[in-house]
Amino acid sequence: MHDAFLPDFCRKPTLILGCGNTLFGDDGFGCELVDYLERNYPIPETVCLLDVGTGVRKLLFTLCLSPARPERLLVLDALDVDRAPGEILEINPAEIPSIKLDDFSLHQIPTSNLLRELETHCGVEVRVLACQSGPLPGEVRPGLSAAVRAALPSSAAWVAREYFNNGLTPSGGTVERRESSPA
Amino acid sequence: MPKTIVIQPVTRIEGHAKITIRLDDAGEVETARVNVIELRGFERFCIGRPVEDMPRITPRICGVCPWSHHLAAAKATDAVFGVTPPPAGRKLRELANSIAYMEEHILHFYFLAGADFLLGPDADYSVRNVIGILQAAPEIATRVVKVRHACARMLEILAGKAIHPQAAVPGGFSKPLLPEERDRLRPMADEALELAKFTMAFAKENVFAKYLDVVKSLGVITTGFLGTVADDGALNLYDGKLRLMAPDGTYEDFTYDNYTDFIAEHVEPWSYVKFPYAKKWGAFSMDLDKPNGIYRANTLARINVCDHIPTPLAQAELLEFRSAFGRPAQLTLLYHWARLIELLFNAENAVRLLADDEITSTETRVKVTPRAARGVGCVEAPRGTLIHDYTTDENGLLTNVNLIVGTTHNSAPINMSVTQAAKSLIHKGKYDQGVLNRVEMAMRAYDPCLSCATHALNGKLAVRLDIFDSEGKLLDSLAN
Repeated sequence: MHDAFLPDFCRKPTLILGCGNTLFGDDGFGCELVDYLERNYPIPETVCLLDVGTGVRKLLFTLCLSPARPERLLVLDALDVDRAPGEILEINPAEIPSIKLDDFSLHQIPTSNLLRELETHCGVEVRVLACQSGPLPGEVRPGLSAAVRAALPSSAAWVAREYFNNGLTPSGGTVERRESSPA
Repeated sequence: MPKTIVIQPVTRIEGHAKITIRLDDAGEVETARVNVIELRGFERFCIGRPVEDMPRITPRICGVCPWSHHLAAAKATDAVFGVTPPPAGRKLRELANSIAYMEEHILHFYFLAGADFLLGPDADYSVRNVIGILQAAPEIATRVVKVRHACARMLEILAGKAIHPQAAVPGGFSKPLLPEERDRLRPMADEALELAKFTMAFAKENVFAKYLDVVKSLGVITTGFLGTVADDGALNLYDGKLRLMAPDGTYEDFTYDNYTDFIAEHVEPWSYVKFPYAKKWGAFSMDLDKPNGIYRANTLARINVCDHIPTPLAQAELLEFRSAFGRPAQLTLLYHWARLIELLFNAENAVRLLADDEITSTETRVKVTPRAARGVGCVEAPRGTLIHDYTTDENGLLTNVNLIVGTTHNSAPINMSVTQAAKSLIHKGKYDQGVLNRVEMAMRAYDPCLSCATHALNGKLAVRLDIFDSEGKLLDSLAN
């Protein structure tokens, strides 16, 4: 592979993706968290931090097929997992609710999705930091709810501690780790 | 007993959709309808916002073709402000458009529609996907991935980011292209051109020739076409005038801001999506035997409406295509062939633009001043003509917004092609997975992107087929 042809998201050891649609309320959590990180933390050279919004599928698709990939991938997204709005938790990619799978696939992989493909077959460490969203609006309405917005600082602190490795000792940032469901 | 077959969602198209096929008592297809769920409230949300925000907001509508929305919005704001970007600004926008096109067309041919052709429409669903392609043709896949990388990298260099771009601004392009950046882009464009040439030759020898019988029979309908041409009638995907061609090949040209004189929007009670039609051709009808007002957009339409293509290799392919299929060509699966001609054009166009010294000029934008005005911006998105229509008050705040997205133009033809395919393939209530995939193929030829029109989070991954009796009782259910 001609290294000059590689986009940043393939060449850096750590890739952090903020996903969601900022036009639909709390669905924009991942994008807003990327913005918060960019404004409040120095981003290490080894990290590619991207607000990929609703375009995550194309990027993951390219990543799956690429001979060069990051070693670690963190996905930031809003999910509905029956918690209180604003609650942050780390979930196993295998636990992504089926209603969200289409956000990560291009409908090509019938029994899996691109995140699982990356983890299982491509050797990439995949983690998902999820925020429980409030009810999503039926029509275009940007802006996070108060509960989800309040989760941004602690979520950012967790990301910095886990991925930036820059000596920061932020307050908060405790995240529950859910155990994987049995296959 | 009448049955209803539901295919939901259609696999390997962008966004979510549902095909419902209703059979009559004899097991013949009574109706076939493609349903999508519309994104609601976007136009209303925009009212009162500064118009210069639109190039930043509209890429958020859709992660599939954000560049098209970005550029259409930038052009509409140019029109609202009454300015023309400097040559370098225009060329940088056009270059970005061509690169985004290449990324999309490569994805579609090799990985979305490709599985149907490279592995065969009757191949088992478990291998009829991108992983199956990788295993069947690893050398080609590697080459394709390299150019997809290059396209993403080119957009990063050109605009700072490939996804949700912000580089095009009212009055031009925010970031001049440095000479050293151009030097980095040129070998990538050359590589893309080599892949485009290979793909065209490969497809003609190994794909289109093999499936010509399917091409000639599946989803065939007769319609008019809509696309953009330059003043001299040349294919142009970034700028020009709109050309609406009737089924007999006659056409009318008009400027963007006059589109409402030629295009009206029909509403069907069973669908949220609008059905644009040619209002001068009479009342809207999707009757397969006697359609009226129906036109198509996207690749085949653009290849049909243009008089010529201004790059040599694509022009040669156009002549060969027309020699084989005439003008206008009507066979639905020729969308794939036309898509590859466009891939070649865009690769040649990227190489041409990067060879132009003017593209590195530092004069990439002009100053704009708010005013009360209406502005219509239009680009050819990979999936069809994209229209952004804005009106502002004297402070430059939006008072009206109307968008017609590429796939929407094809609402009626998609329904007609799916109906035609279903009627020709399902008889006496008999169907299997291969038949149903061919019905989907008729829809996929249009490369429909429904993300602009959908925000449903309830889509499931696999295709599911449910068969109901006339009373709504589930008789059968098949899943991939």
